[in-house]
This record gives sequence, structure tokens and C-alpha cells, in this order.
Amino acid sequence: MPAAISVAAIGLVVVATIGIGLFGLRISRTTSDFYVASRAVSPRWNASAISGEYLSAASFLGVAGLVLVNGADMLWFSVGYTVGYLMLLVLVAAPLRRSGAYTLPDFAETRFESAAVRRICAGLVVGIGTLYLLPQLQGAGLAVQTVTGAPPQVGAAVVTVIVVINVAAGGMRSITFVQAFQYWLKLTALAAPIFVILLVWHQPTGVLDSLHGAAAAWAEPLSRAGGRDHPLYATYSLLLALCFGTMGLPHVLVRFYTNPDGRAARRTTVVVLALLGLFYLFPPMYAVLGRTFAPDLVATGGDTVVLELPGRIFPGTAGDLLGALVAAGAFAAFLSTSSGLTVAIAGVIDQDLLRSRLHRWTGGDYVAVSSFRIAALIAMIVPYLAFTVTGALSLADTVGLAFALASSTFCPLLVLGIWWRRMSTTGAAAGLVVGGIAASAAALVNVSGGPQGGWPRALVGQPAAWTMPLAFVTVIVVSKLTPDRIPAGTARSMVRLHTPEAVDVDRGPATLTNRAAGSLRPPPHA
Amino acid sequence: MSDSTRDPDLTTYRDVQVSPDFSELRRRFRRFVFPMTALFLVWYFVYVLLADYAHGFMSHRIGGGNITVALLFGLGQFVSTFAITLIYVRWADRRIDPDAEKLRHQLEGAPQ
Repeated sequence: MPAAISVAAIGLVVVATIGIGLFGLRISRTTSDFYVASRAVSPRWNASAISGEYLSAASFLGVAGLVLVNGADMLWFSVGYTVGYLMLLVLVAAPLRRSGAYTLPDFAETRFESAAVRRICAGLVVGIGTLYLLPQLQGAGLAVQTVTGAPPQVGAAVVTVIVVINVAAGGMRSITFVQAFQYWLKLTALAAPIFVILLVWHQPTGVLDSLHGAAAAWAEPLSRAGGRDHPLYATYSLLLALCFGTMGLPHVLVRFYTNPDGRAARRTTVVVLALLGLFYLFPPMYAVLGRTFAPDLVATGGDTVVLELPGRIFPGTAGDLLGALVAAGAFAAFLSTSSGLTVAIAGVIDQDLLRSRLHRWTGGDYVAVSSFRIAALIAMIVPYLAFTVTGALSLADTVGLAFALASSTFCPLLVLGIWWRRMSTTGAAAGLVVGGIAASAAALVNVSGGPQGGWPRALVGQPAAWTMPLAFVTVIVVSKLTPDRIPAGTARSMVRLHTPEAVDVDRGPATLTNRAAGSLRPPPHA
Repeated sequence: MSDSTRDPDLTTYRDVQVSPDFSELRRRFRRFVFPMTALFLVWYFVYVLLADYAHGFMSHRIGGGNITVALLFGLGQFVSTFAITLIYVRWADRRIDPDAEKLRHQLEGAPQ
């Protein structure tokens, strides 16, 4: 019976997602709608959509699970995610928005005037995006398994199909509506059980008191509760990865282009931070309650604590209903983040791999939007296959590795590319390659078992603290060695990046937005 | 593909880039943003350090209840993140946008 209610709730989310997506499709008429939602999304809508997209499976299920198992240190995940957004705002958001480039590969090409650097970036976007999609599918599998007992592949397949349909059909504009709706659903789903618990017990301090004794060591900061060695290093490395990795996440940057101008982008960010902060109050509460009411979950990794807690505390119909609500919210989390990632990855696959080939094969006789749709299918099928092959890692671990990869590649490219005019094309390429190889090697070693303990395990498990500086140093040293490879148009790039939008300088014919607007036709049935 | 060597407008960009107004705009941005970024990163990192080496201070209970210094600092992380953002946004509206407007008038030769 409880399974039936939860399945019905998940079904409702799926129906609502498709319904809002179809509504968006009806008003999605032009190419600009398709890629950047016509840049006509108001800051409030956009902030809800950004938060809806940003709060992934790792935030909804993973953070509570990590705090439950590893103790108070893991609160850094929620702080790090939030601070990452701030770093993005102050360091790169405005200049990048001004550059006129719409994806990271576009930025790389206009700033460094090199097709090779562009290709490396395209590969990295697909790599990071796929690495980030894995935990979403994993979370979906886990949620469906917890609720119905079905194998994990079922939940992952459901998310894959819905996302492909939605992204392929509606593009960015409909996704924006869907994601804004999903933020509020997620917040409600996570907050409601907590409020019910507090209402029923009247005294929240009673809950805290029940924690004394058994969980005292777990609540201590930098305890080794989860069996981690070198907790100080691990925490710093994680914090670095989250702070500097957010700016390299493909789906996050694309979102900034849905704002009409830089001013609106700044306003949006303020609202986003408030919404994120509000959301992150709740996962730790689940973890604290989980220590008291579901201590057995510690042994299984804890990722299901948010889903199981309502049923543990309120056996019976109330618990079933709250559980169904949480399951629905979790599903919204997988759907929204996966949709955003798929839009971002599909955009890159479409532009850098597919469109020119399709154009050649069909002799120009094709509708551009259909290549975006094929790209969306590829972008989602590959992680699904990878998911069925690789099996289970902890949700937040996979996410941590995606952040480490982003902070070791795109962070140096963006920060130095925007602020350092002596950066050479060779330096940019070398930094991307060295940082990318170091971080993905660490990820591979980690996935395949890895070292058992001590420093090797700490260094491989949380690589950002050494891979990120390595990438920065590589860029700087190689750039100093190759001063003749500084792009000829650096002066123009710098003016474009640093004069606010109000200054009406030509932002260049080489940028995608202009090119795409000229060459694409609207979707066939619009 | 942008081929800068054949770009007739390139000299305009060079002119803008070497103009005092443009360097002033960039310098002001850097003078505000870089120290601010460094400062808030230090604040987050010091918190972790305190958690490790100043147990006594962090677990000090305020008013005899369940509220500790660490808990207050932890919530403060979120509050300060939000405050920093607000400060930045207000600063950018007041100090960057008006000068950009001025620079635009100079570039386009429009009357003030």
C-alpha cells in the first residue's frame, strides 16, 4: 500500500513535468527560445529555475546520507555548494556574460582563437556532464528501489526517457518553467516532514537531547566517524573543489544566459543564494533525526535516509503520505538536474560534433533543431549505459569527483583567461590537459577500488587540493614559455570581457548566439 | 572564426584598452573583487581550522543551552555568504554601471 501511494506521487511529478514541458513547447517558437529561453526570463523565475536545476540528487539525498554516516564535517557540502555559486558570481559571471559566448567551448574559442582549445573544452563539458549525470540516475534507481523494490535500472530508465522527451521537445524555455516548479516541489517535499515532526513533538530540544551520548563523537567536527584519514586535508580539498568547481559545471553557466542583462544576472544570483540557503537547512536535520531513528542505515551508506525517515517516525498512513511526498521531491531533483545537464551537453554535442556532419551528409537539407534532438538522446543514453555498467558509488562521492575535474580544468581557464592578458593559447591547452588528466586519473583510481588508507587514499579520494594548483601552475609556466602564442585579439577580448553591456562595442561575429540566430530555423511544429 | 590581423576595428579596441577610463574601471573592479574573494575564502577556511584546533572555544555553550559557538558560526557561514552577495550587487550597481555608462558616451561620442 505505501508503495502504491509513492508510485502515484512519482507518477504525478512525471505527468506535471511533461505537462509543463508541453506548455513551454507551445510558446517556444524561435531558436533563441530553444537555447536561451529568449533571454526573457524574469530574475525570480530564473532564480527558482537555477535553484531547481542546481539542487541535484546529491543535495536532496546525498548530503543527508553523508552527514548521517560521516558526521558534522559533511555539512561542508552544503556550504561549499552555496559558496561555489558566489565565486561564480564575483569572478566570472559578468565577464563571461559579456563575452557573448554561450557555452564554455565558445568562450575558449573566442578568447584563445584556437579550434584545438575549443575541442578540448567540448570534450571536458561532455565528460564532466556525464560524470554528473551518473549520480542522478543512481539516485533515481535508489529511490524507486526503496519505494517499490524494483531493480535500480528501472528508476534510471524512467528518468532517462522523461528527460530526453522533455529536452528534445521543448528546449530551454520549457525546461525553465519545469525547473522553477521543481524547486518549490523539492523544498516543500523536504520541509514538510520536518515541520510535521516538530509540530507533533512541540519541543525540538527533545530531539536534540535524545542525541546526547550515542552520537556525541559523530557530532564532533573532523572526527573520523566515516573512517576517513586526514580529515583536515580532505575537508579543505573538498571545499576547494566545491568553491572553484561550480563555475566549471556546464549546466550552471548556460543558465546565466537566460538573463536579459548583467544586472538581471546579479539580481538572480542574490535570490538563488537565498533559495539555496533555505533548502540546505533541511538535509542536516534529516541526518540528525536519522542518527536517532534509523541508525541501521549508517551501515548501508545512508543515501536512503531522507526517503525512509518519515515512515520510521510515523508508522501508518501519515508516514506513507509524507514518504510519498519525499519520493516525489526526490524524483523532481533527478529530473531537473538531469534536464539541465542534458541541455548543456546536448548543446555542445550538437555544435561541435553533430551539426556540421549532419549538414554534410544531408547536403544542407535538414532542420537544425533535429540535430539538437539527436544530441539530447546521445547525451542521456551514454550515462545510462555507464550507470548500468559501473554500479554503485556513494551519490556525493561521484559528484565530488565531477567538481574536482571542473575545478582543475575550467576554473584556471576562466579565471586566468578573464584576468590575465599574457595567457597564451598553448598555456590554456596545457592547463586543460594536465588538470584534466590528473583529476580523471584520480577519479578512475577511486572508482576501481583505490588505495586502502592513509595519505594515498586521502589524496586520490579528494584530489582538488593538488590537481587544481597543478593546473594553474601549468598554465602560468607554459604561458611564460610561449609568449609568441598569446592570441592576437587579446586586446579586443579584454575590452569585451570588462566593459559592461551598456557599452555598445561589437561583441563579435565569431560568437555562437549571432551565428546560431542567423543559421537556424525554428522547430518544425512551432 | 575571428581573424584579428585583418580586423579594421582592432585599433578601436586597442584605443579603448589603453584608455585611462578603461584601466580605471578594470582596476576598481579588481581592487574590490580580489580582496573580497580572498577575505571570504579565509573566513571559510579558518572555520574549518578552528573546528580542528579550538575544540574548547567552538563547543562553548551559549546561555547553557544546546547552542554552541560552532553552531552559530556554521549558520553564520550562510548568512555571511548572503551578505557578501548583497554587498557585491549593490557595489556593482553603484560603482560599475554608472562609469560604464560614461565610457559608452565617450566611445559613441554622444553628448553627456
